[in-house]
Amino acid sequence: MARLTLKNVFKRYRNKKNEAADYAVNDFSLSCDDGEFVGILGPSGCGKTTTLRMVAGLEEITRGDIYIGDTLINNLHPKDRNIGLAFEDYALYPPLNVYENIAFNLSAKGVAREEIDRRVREIAPLMKVDDLLEMKPAGLSGGQKQRVNIARALVRNPLVLLLDEPLSHLDGKMRQILRTEIKRIHNKIKCTTVLVTHDQLEAMSLADRIAIMNDGKLQQFGTPLEVYDNPVNVFVAGFIGEPPMNLMKVSILEESGKLFFLFPKKGIRVAVPSRYRSALRSGMEVTLGVRPTDIFISSDDGTGSEVTVDVFENLGDEKRISIDVGEEDFLTLMTEDERRYKKGEKIHLRFHEEKTHIFDPETGDRIQA
Amino acid sequence: MAHIALEGISKSFGKVQALRNIDLTVRDREFFVLFGPAGAGKTTILKTVAGIEFPDAGLVRFDDEVVNLVEPALRNVSMVFENYALYPHMTVYDNIASPMRSPLYRKDEAVIKQEVQKVADMMGIGSLLERLPSQLSNGQRQRTALGRCLVRSPRVFLMDEPLAHLDAKLRHLMRTELKSMQAEFDTTTIYVTHDYTEAMSLSDRVAIINLGEIVQIGSSDEIYYTPRNEFVAKLVGEPEINLVDVDLVSREGTLCAVFAGTDRCLPVNDDVAGVLSHSTIPKWRMGIRGLNVGYCFTEEENCVEGSVYNLEPIGNKAILTIKVGESLFQAVAPNDLRAELDSPIYLKLDMNNALFFNGETGDFVVRHNQAELVRGR
Repeated sequence: MARLTLKNVFKRYRNKKNEAADYAVNDFSLSCDDGEFVGILGPSGCGKTTTLRMVAGLEEITRGDIYIGDTLINNLHPKDRNIGLAFEDYALYPPLNVYENIAFNLSAKGVAREEIDRRVREIAPLMKVDDLLEMKPAGLSGGQKQRVNIARALVRNPLVLLLDEPLSHLDGKMRQILRTEIKRIHNKIKCTTVLVTHDQLEAMSLADRIAIMNDGKLQQFGTPLEVYDNPVNVFVAGFIGEPPMNLMKVSILEESGKLFFLFPKKGIRVAVPSRYRSALRSGMEVTLGVRPTDIFISSDDGTGSEVTVDVFENLGDEKRISIDVGEEDFLTLMTEDERRYKKGEKIHLRFHEEKTHIFDPETGDRIQA
Repeated sequence: MAHIALEGISKSFGKVQALRNIDLTVRDREFFVLFGPAGAGKTTILKTVAGIEFPDAGLVRFDDEVVNLVEPALRNVSMVFENYALYPHMTVYDNIASPMRSPLYRKDEAVIKQEVQKVADMMGIGSLLERLPSQLSNGQRQRTALGRCLVRSPRVFLMDEPLAHLDAKLRHLMRTELKSMQAEFDTTTIYVTHDYTEAMSLSDRVAIINLGEIVQIGSSDEIYYTPRNEFVAKLVGEPEINLVDVDLVSREGTLCAVFAGTDRCLPVNDDVAGVLSHSTIPKWRMGIRGLNVGYCFTEEENCVEGSVYNLEPIGNKAILTIKVGESLFQAVAPNDLRAELDSPIYLKLDMNNALFFNGETGDFVVRHNQAELVRGR
């Protein structure tokens, strides 16, 4: 177990068509603490898997340094990096049984048979594959194969465990079960772990901290709650959270000393939280970001903004109200009260004082209060 | 506009029986959802209504008239498919116009122009009419396919998973838009989905389909509050409903539920006790949704001791998994909750929202306040 540090790492691919160079990974720095579980999250093509492959030694590093503990590993052979790897497709050896699959790397290294046996029998119950040791991969379910795959990565007692989309081939229920197992095993063995995923739910539920990537660049690195509550830009704001954050262009309107967000097409105005007083002026355009759970229905006491319910959806566990504010998307809010609303009904809205965000419409960066 | 009835429909593909004795009636102008897992037979039912599949047995009626022998084209149905099925060489305009240019339902070009523009504006693609499908995003393609379906005035709209191929964000938006436009359809609609949020949101009534059979037909409230059996209960809601074996015992005159591995007894509501105590069912299972599972860190009355099995912050909430004996319970908790794995915790169930199932068959028996909850609020 060790710290994993990436310092200003670049990966450059030459684009054959027009000779231009593209950076798959662009000035990426990250520091994972010893025993930490870090998620690298982003849409497909954002460079997250390339980053992982550079750590594993499967991809050359164009520029920058990668350390495990205090050791620079840039030029170390993959097998000498002491890394455990588990990919999305399990890549188990079909002719070998589960025991032999888990033992394979240790035998290849020439570890003594008794030692191999001890390690396999130690790791197998942790991954709940101890009843499957005699079986061949063909007879296993997807979930079982991935358990064997992770067991095979862990049996080497790696300094760092790398998981690349380990759950994306599994169906809903199995995915949830294995997610829980991975979290519990990490809690037990505390091996420094990096998980690459495009599924924000997976990253949020597993990782101590999440690195969100887009376009080869690190956008934000923080705990699940930090990136959820304080997204640094529009990309992070829109990527994290389900249902997604309402993100819409509004202008700022000042009237009798008070500031309002104005949805121009419908003339709807909602009070600006007081902490933004100094950052905003009348006539400015900003991107407003507010989560469906941070919009409240208030009583008609003059403080809320009157809007018309366009869609009311009762989804059982929760209820959603959507309001047509004249933009491409609806303004959506969630309620947990038992009340049913009707299309056309007038309600009054208020935005959460602390959890309403504003972003620069040009750069997408968050505007601080 | 029409009411549609299926009577005793069965259908096999080789050795596989796809539909078994399906009986259902879709009311005039109703938005009726067929909901179930993949392979349940939902699409086969839809195709039977369309006339694309021919049933082995049973009758299909449109407004009481048997249409089994009526050609699909003559049934006057309008269908939208999961994979859009747009004509790749035609513009958006021509794709939407195509049903009105068919020999059977031909309309004047002036009328077509008006209708296409109207439906395209409704779908938010009014400015894309000259584009080819290859120049559209997936969302715009799906809007075009929906527009082509809606441009006609058929007796029934048939929609087969129209949102399934869209990403989560777009699916949510399109669902809301469909719901928003529903009043304007004013036409009987049968909608197939495997997504419970679509079923709950869009439907006037839902039919739950599994293994070629109808499991339950009802309003979304009925499906949610009084699922016919454990299968239906598990289909609706996220996280999945918690189900646990319980013994029903009477302690000091109060009927209580006791679950495996504990001696703590949880008193059930009087109205529920009335039903349960007269039953001869030997084995019980209790279902309780994540929303109705509470927790506390010090012992309180009617709490059950367990340990923290997992805690997953997933945005606006956290899923807290509590282990009691050999059972796992998932609770919905605030996203800033902190708890060490395997540390002690107490489970606090809201018995007002407990569902009781026959432990042998999985059939629903009773819940508190049953009649009031489903009386279409």
